Amino acid sequence: MGLNRLVKLAARAFYDDITTKGDNQPKTGRSDNRGMAVVVLDALTRCYTRCQWVREEDLAKDLKLHSKQLRCTLRFFEEEKLVTRDHRRETAKGAKIFSAAVAATADGGQIGKEGEEKIKMHTHFYCCLDYAQVALCRSESDKLAAQEMGDGVDNARRRRREKLKDMLQKMEYKCLFFLEVTSWKRMQAQLKPLIEQLSRVKDLAVPEFGSLQAWEARANAAGHAANGDSSANDSSKSSQGQGYGGTAMPFLGETRVEVALSGAEAKEEDTKPNTANMSMKVLPPWMIKQGMNLTKEQRGEAKQETKMDSSLAPAELSDDKKSKDEYAKAYYAAILKRQQEQEEENKRKQQELYNTNNAMNGVPDISSDRRVGMKSKRDEDGRDDDVEWEEAPTAGTHQLLPCFQMFVALSWVIRFFDK
Amino acid sequence: MFFHIVLERNMQLHPRHFGPHLRDKLVAKLMKDVEGTCSGRHGFVVAITGVDNIGKGLIRDGTGFVTFPVKYQCVVFRPFKGEILEAVVTMVNKMGFFAEAGPVQIFVSNHLIPDDMEFQSGDMPNYTTSDGSVKIQKDSEVRLKIIGTRVDATEIFCIGTIKDDFLGVINDPGAAS
Repeated sequence: MGLNRLVKLAARAFYDDITTKGDNQPKTGRSDNRGMAVVVLDALTRCYTRCQWVREEDLAKDLKLHSKQLRCTLRFFEEEKLVTRDHRRETAKGAKIFSAAVAATADGGQIGKEGEEKIKMHTHFYCCLDYAQVALCRSESDKLAAQEMGDGVDNARRRRREKLKDMLQKMEYKCLFFLEVTSWKRMQAQLKPLIEQLSRVKDLAVPEFGSLQAWEARANAAGHAANGDSSANDSSKSSQGQGYGGTAMPFLGETRVEVALSGAEAKEEDTKPNTANMSMKVLPPWMIKQGMNLTKEQRGEAKQETKMDSSLAPAELSDDKKSKDEYAKAYYAAILKRQQEQEEENKRKQQELYNTNNAMNGVPDISSDRRVGMKSKRDEDGRDDDVEWEEAPTAGTHQLLPCFQMFVALSWVIRFFDK
Repeated sequence: MFFHIVLERNMQLHPRHFGPHLRDKLVAKLMKDVEGTCSGRHGFVVAITGVDNIGKGLIRDGTGFVTFPVKYQCVVFRPFKGEILEAVVTMVNKMGFFAEAGPVQIFVSNHLIPDDMEFQSGDMPNYTTSDGSVKIQKDSEVRLKIIGTRVDATEIFCIGTIKDDFLGVINDPGAAS
């Protein structure tokens, strides 16, 4: 697409003044041939989206031009190296091959003729890239022409064209040094759209279609591969990749269509495709305990990893906060319950102690298996801090909240180094 | 903390498994797919305890696979901010140490380690008090408090501290208890 646009822009920029010199012009009054070059180039780019090689006769018919005029224009373009022409004698069989390759329905009428000479054209886009340099030269040649305005526009342009051809031989950039800044800017402004397109297209891989035979052979082979029937229009269409629709993308290669009839190739859409490995599963390290009878694969040493269920993941993050609250509530409820139970137990024990032994101070004997600390203190504090649980209530942590981000970042960095 | 919850999942089954043992194969596939995995929302699925319900299978267009909605009960583990856990130290470096509490990895930065503990590099890098009485090295058991969690789609990662009361080393593998 980009290349087509480039050709169109170039045509309009440089070729809108071409006249067919001295040819027999038709008497119908079509004496103004100025726009013809542009029209022809446009037609070629259009044809290019459909098929690469175009028959001259077809083009003439499409454009409603005299074939001679068209041939003249095409010869001119050939000199400018925009177009490659090739001609050969073909029999009806050849015509068939061509039509199969092109999938053009208009060729149906050619089958009956034999020994007819057909000329085909083919657009070479790589030459457009030369225009990057040509554009620069052009601009300054225009400037030179502008200085010689007295000779009349046509002559200047003709001279310009001749100069161009010379320049292509020389070091092009030498000329730039003679430019005046103002005129160069003017030219640049005029050529801006062209240059933009050039830069856009510069990196694009240039479609190379090869010789006519090679292209035909390739197109036919692709047609064969698609469905085994070269005469079917569908197959050749699909082999072209776009058919008659003329999509935006240029035909950069073959597209192959494979139809899996058996369904044995059908893959799972969601996560893992290999149901053949149903018995083997890689266990994460935390699931592996001592004494488990596991194979190497299950231990993950074979480096086959099962992937997480991706369908669960996307929805979860949005609901994370809600579920977090639910979990937090459950957590708090569990803590509260535990504390209440312990309180009751303490009270009971206190009662017992008080009842059985009045001499005792009534200090509650807290049943705690933990050797670590004094549970009673913790309980009282815990109750107060219930509300602030999420805010990390203890003194030691209040200074950490601002630094938390840093810690997280640090930890991730370390993790990366470790892994 | 551990939870016992009901989850639902759409299981896809290949036609080759259709037959009299379809349900068993479905359950086996579920266990294989889900056990050991982690989701950001529910945490780590430790074990499936039962299958509540298997819905009607829906045949996918174009392929022969059938999708069954399965409801199952499972034990999940999900760490929370403020939670206190016991963990086993897996790695020690000068930035802090890594500890694992089951499926979750917790990092304790050296800023969150008591100031009297210094990093000692060497064959077995460790954090030791000045008098050498308390040592944190690989395979030590520590009690820590989670001060932050980072939840991805498939992973949960925590930051912890031992700079509070009643936190720190519980059991040192090197020292005599």
